Amino acid sequence: MTQPGTGPDVSFRIEARGLSVARGSRRVVHEVGLGVRPGEAVALVGPNAAGKSTLVRALAGLLPAASGGVWLEGRPLREWNRDAAARAVALVTTDDHEGPGLLTVEDRVALGRYPHRGPFRPLGTDDRHAVGRALVLTGIAELAGRRLGTLSAGERQLATLARGLAQEPRVLLLDEPAAHLDVGHQLRLFRILDLVRAEGVAVLAVVHDLQRAAAWAERVVLLARGRVACSGAAGDVIGGPEAARAFEVAIRAHAVPGLAHPLYTFEETS
Amino acid sequence: MTDPTRRWRTFAALALLLPAAGMAAAALGSVSLPAVSILASLSGAAGLPLAGLPGLGEAGEAIFWVVRLPRVILAAIVGGGLAVVGASLQSVFRNPMADAGLLGVGPGAALGAVLSVRLGWSADLFLALPLAAFAGALGAALLVYALSHAGGRPSLHGLLLTGLAVSALAGAGTSVLLVATEEFRVKTVLFWLAGGLEGRSWPHVRLALAFIGAGVAALVLFSRPLDVLSLGEDEAAALGLPVHPARLGILALAALVAGTATAVAGSVPFVGLVAPHALRPLVGPLGRHLLPAAFLGGAVLVVLADLAARTVSPHLDLPLGSLTAFVGAPYFLVALRLHEGRT
Repeated sequence: MTQPGTGPDVSFRIEARGLSVARGSRRVVHEVGLGVRPGEAVALVGPNAAGKSTLVRALAGLLPAASGGVWLEGRPLREWNRDAAARAVALVTTDDHEGPGLLTVEDRVALGRYPHRGPFRPLGTDDRHAVGRALVLTGIAELAGRRLGTLSAGERQLATLARGLAQEPRVLLLDEPAAHLDVGHQLRLFRILDLVRAEGVAVLAVVHDLQRAAAWAERVVLLARGRVACSGAAGDVIGGPEAARAFEVAIRAHAVPGLAHPLYTFEETS
Repeated sequence: MTDPTRRWRTFAALALLLPAAGMAAAALGSVSLPAVSILASLSGAAGLPLAGLPGLGEAGEAIFWVVRLPRVILAAIVGGGLAVVGASLQSVFRNPMADAGLLGVGPGAALGAVLSVRLGWSADLFLALPLAAFAGALGAALLVYALSHAGGRPSLHGLLLTGLAVSALAGAGTSVLLVATEEFRVKTVLFWLAGGLEGRSWPHVRLALAFIGAGVAALVLFSRPLDVLSLGEDEAAALGLPVHPARLGILALAALVAGTATAVAGSVPFVGLVAPHALRPLVGPLGRHLLPAAFLGGAVLVVLADLAARTVSPHLDLPLGSLTAFVGAPYFLVALRLHEGRT
């Protein structure tokens, strides 16, 4: 975490500094400082309406900062050209199922090349390569010719992720990527994110499932009422008092022999 | 069948269907013209006279070149343009039920056209009518867009109801103008409400070709941003597309095409809904495939509808707009039911 008043930390690929974001007239994110380094996996956790989605959209440049700002590779995001920023940062959200159901998976993923191609350039060798790689990496190459409307929710979400990977971003932002997924698809999704991360991409994901966040992320950031309540190693954040207060539950960690991470149990507090 | 195979077969079928429909529309009517003579006349005009084929004769030549051919071409351009507009609006609004008529663009264009007739502008200036129709179409589209987005992203119902309300408003304005119009102009005004191609000739074809052609070409050229918009606002913005300027630009082009179509043919409802809806499963939803296919499909639909309008009754020409509505409204109701059943 950077302290207010210092210069942008160049080791961060993307960084929010004193970032406040408003939705309509209501301020949803308050003076958030948070950065992700190349190859780092950060999980953003927090109760409903904590401002997680708003923060992620602001990091992607979709929502303007009310104060503070976002730095991408040491340069303010608002100084970036729109296409260059979209080539550097990919945003993957939960598929809303209202998109074109007749679009094939391959065409869906190829639209991820838009920031590289613009409105007019045809699909080139680089583009085909990136699309093919994204399909293979997400394990949906055999679905390439299928139409989105015929896919399961999990397959559709993987197609959305593949679109993000086809952008060949240096920062991958995900808003609840596992929302509709069964446990098998969840494991697959986070394994794919680990592969992406291993290539040096900075990955930040909003994760609802605290157990999953603990197992996957190197660093967990807890957002509560639009502010960063706590940030650090998964065990410290999820097992800490701030998380219990934010979620209004009692959280207990149980060490299980043979398991790298503690198992968490949650109880309502009266 | 794979998607590319199905796509190319569809395009081939449409490419055969359009000249066939055009030939039927040129040959049939109160006076039938033999198809071979039409071919001879066409190839003669193209500088390749075909020997041995019977000619149309002087009266036949006049009927073909002055009455039938401009009408057929105009029907094709209007139908094609309206179908491309429908397909584009369906992508922008992420809604397969969106259409120029349902979103108020058609009624808005009719109001503009009627207003220019009422004020007598159209008598003085040939371009006044299409410009007024364009302004009406654009105004209605912007009104629906602004009203339906005022409370966040609109639902299917919110969008359709807003379009309905704006259409009703434009229709009410048209009715008031109709009552206030001198009797000798009422027939001209009624023409825009019913839709039709009676008495249209080459100047109308040139006008439609220029404005609808330009609008359709621009929409096809910018079909990739259209595809990106169909993924939703967040994803489009995250892919670097300036969402609001792109949407407004597409709406303006849609209004240009629908406005010009209304200016030359009156209101021809449901073409923009039926043609893309029927073709999307065959050629896929990408704009570079769907828009050209929709143009051909819409052209075939309106050429055939106009042929039916002229020939179904031996005593009077039926309004073209009523014919497309007779076919389109039941289609719309069935499609709506299937759409609601799926979600």
